[in-house]
Amino acid sequence: MVEELLKPIKDLIADYSFNTKNEIVIRTSDFNLAKVSQYLFRDLDCELATVIATDDRFSDDCCFTIRYVYSYHKKNVFFIVENKVKERFNSLANIIPALNWYEREIRDMFGLVPLNHPDPRPLVLFPENFPPDLHPLRKDFDIKTRPELKSYGKYEYKEVEGEGVFNILVGPIHAGIIEPGHFRFSLAGEHVLQLEIRHFWKHRGVEKLAEGKTAEEILEIVPRVSGDHSYAHTLAYVQAIEKLSNTEIPERAKYLRVLFAELERLMCNLNDVAWLFQDVAYSFGAQGMFILKEEVMRLNKALTGNRFNKNVLKIGGVSVDLNQEKVNLIIDKLGFIADKFEFYKKIIFDSASILDRFETTGRILYETVKELSCVGYTARASGLKSDIRKEHPYLIYDKLTFTSQTFEEGDCFARLKCRLSDIEDSISIIKEVLADLPDGEIFTQPNPLPANRWTLGYSEGQRGNIMYFVKTDKEGKIDRLKIRDPSFNNWQAIQWAVLGDIVADFPLVNKSLNLSYAGTDL
Amino acid sequence: MFRIFKERFKEGIKAEELKIRDENVEILGKQLKEKIDKYFQGSFAIREVDSGSCNACEYEISALSNPYYDIERFGVKFVASPKHADAIMITGCLTRNMYEAMMKAYENVPNPKFVIAVGDCALDGGIFKGSYAVMDGIKDKLPVDIWIKGCPPEPIDIISGLLMLLNQKFGE
Repeated sequence: MVEELLKPIKDLIADYSFNTKNEIVIRTSDFNLAKVSQYLFRDLDCELATVIATDDRFSDDCCFTIRYVYSYHKKNVFFIVENKVKERFNSLANIIPALNWYEREIRDMFGLVPLNHPDPRPLVLFPENFPPDLHPLRKDFDIKTRPELKSYGKYEYKEVEGEGVFNILVGPIHAGIIEPGHFRFSLAGEHVLQLEIRHFWKHRGVEKLAEGKTAEEILEIVPRVSGDHSYAHTLAYVQAIEKLSNTEIPERAKYLRVLFAELERLMCNLNDVAWLFQDVAYSFGAQGMFILKEEVMRLNKALTGNRFNKNVLKIGGVSVDLNQEKVNLIIDKLGFIADKFEFYKKIIFDSASILDRFETTGRILYETVKELSCVGYTARASGLKSDIRKEHPYLIYDKLTFTSQTFEEGDCFARLKCRLSDIEDSISIIKEVLADLPDGEIFTQPNPLPANRWTLGYSEGQRGNIMYFVKTDKEGKIDRLKIRDPSFNNWQAIQWAVLGDIVADFPLVNKSLNLSYAGTDL
Repeated sequence: MFRIFKERFKEGIKAEELKIRDENVEILGKQLKEKIDKYFQGSFAIREVDSGSCNACEYEISALSNPYYDIERFGVKFVASPKHADAIMITGCLTRNMYEAMMKAYENVPNPKFVIAVGDCALDGGIFKGSYAVMDGIKDKLPVDIWIKGCPPEPIDIISGLLMLLNQKFGE
């Protein structure tokens, strides 16, 4: 199958091999990289899943490696194009716009220069705070280095010129209880001509912190990458570790993992719908949905002792089992939530004042989400299928039935409808899991991690798929942990979503995408 | 419209039901309200600033406004401008990139003011302590009046933290 798919570019690639059964590593020359990437992205219709740079100068082959991960949807396959790099590499952002932020990130974190990049400004490390020669993910960089806090340069924003054009600057600190980020609107009259976003205010150095730690120690870090998705992040991570160490978890643990994953998706979706109502000043619906979200969080607390199910996942299984009493509690609560949800859903479709705010607002075209490789409901609302539970099934998702609906319109209403259908999906999945829950163990002792191996781990969070890359060093500790939150791919789309809309609609558009700042900033 | 009213009456007031379901919120909230009525004329305004949290703290702080807790009935209000605030509430470790913005927000809260640190990372950086990108926590940057621990602290912990702060400042 793979040979068939790669046939048109067989002259361009040096060779290919299987890293695991669905990860195919393609090696090519720097010269042919663009053609190979273009073939995968355009002709095979792959999505850009993530890009990982690693500093291998001190281990095997005295240079850096950049791996471009393309996810192929029609079959359960990832194509990973490997490129060995010394100081500079050819930028592909002009032909694959989704690469834009990845290449800028690599430039900041590793000091590798992308040649001919359309936007060579720093991304993660602000020139106002960090010296230009600081590249934290290089192996010879000591994490404790703290250069003097002073201005080392200035960040150039994109200016829009013309008669009557003015700017509105928002953030980094916003008016509500939300995370920090900077937005610059350029307007002529009421309509937005350009929105420029600037993130990474909360850059904490998560990936550097992970280096040299054991797999267990990192379980402390991953739930704190993006708090509301703490479970999905941990799930992506432990699956990578289990794949590397060849640990097969018990059947019952797989079912329980799906159950908790769907509880988190349910909680986040209810919260999103509540905030969307709040932003169109529909308090009645908003408070109603907040009640349902609080009910899910209290259910979590009753089941696992934590409102976010933070300590459930272990390498090798789960730490919490369900007894009949808890199963009944879940069924009770789900019944209550499903009833109420049905009621609020009817109201939405009946109320002209709600529809008026949602429909045609914040439209993102199919072409935009495709070029940017957007994921999750951002993609599905614009007609691009994106659900890693279907494309690359893990745990028991291949046995379950769920719709993961797509819509064509790409506006705020389509994104709301995606959430509504996701809520129904989650409820039906949980019921199905509880009905089939097998007996048995919930934990198996994991095997030790092998040295010098790498793999991908992934899970579907509520915002879209979460990708982890884990590479071990010669002692079986973590050499490189690359985290890609769905928000990293989706943030750029917001700059297109608001074009032509009025500035007063921005809070709604932002909420309809509801992206994580912490997960992007790392 | 009729359907909405029907649901509204059927549902009842959630906050009252809590008397049976969650006595702690009611007991703590009542004490909190007494203090706020006495020393802040019924309104205690907080400006929340995220200086590097993972957003779980934000999740729980916004949960304070849902019908189960409805913290505004005790007189606590989250405000948009630091200039309207009696206290500044800081979540997460302090990142280099947020340092300046956070200090500006702090300076703009009029005196006398309280500093409330929320979450395990807020005081000294927690698990992010020692990273090149953070300045650990706000411990030696701002005069912290109270630290509400937890990762993240639950809404009820935040309410009792606020009560502890006022008890500490104005006596039991």
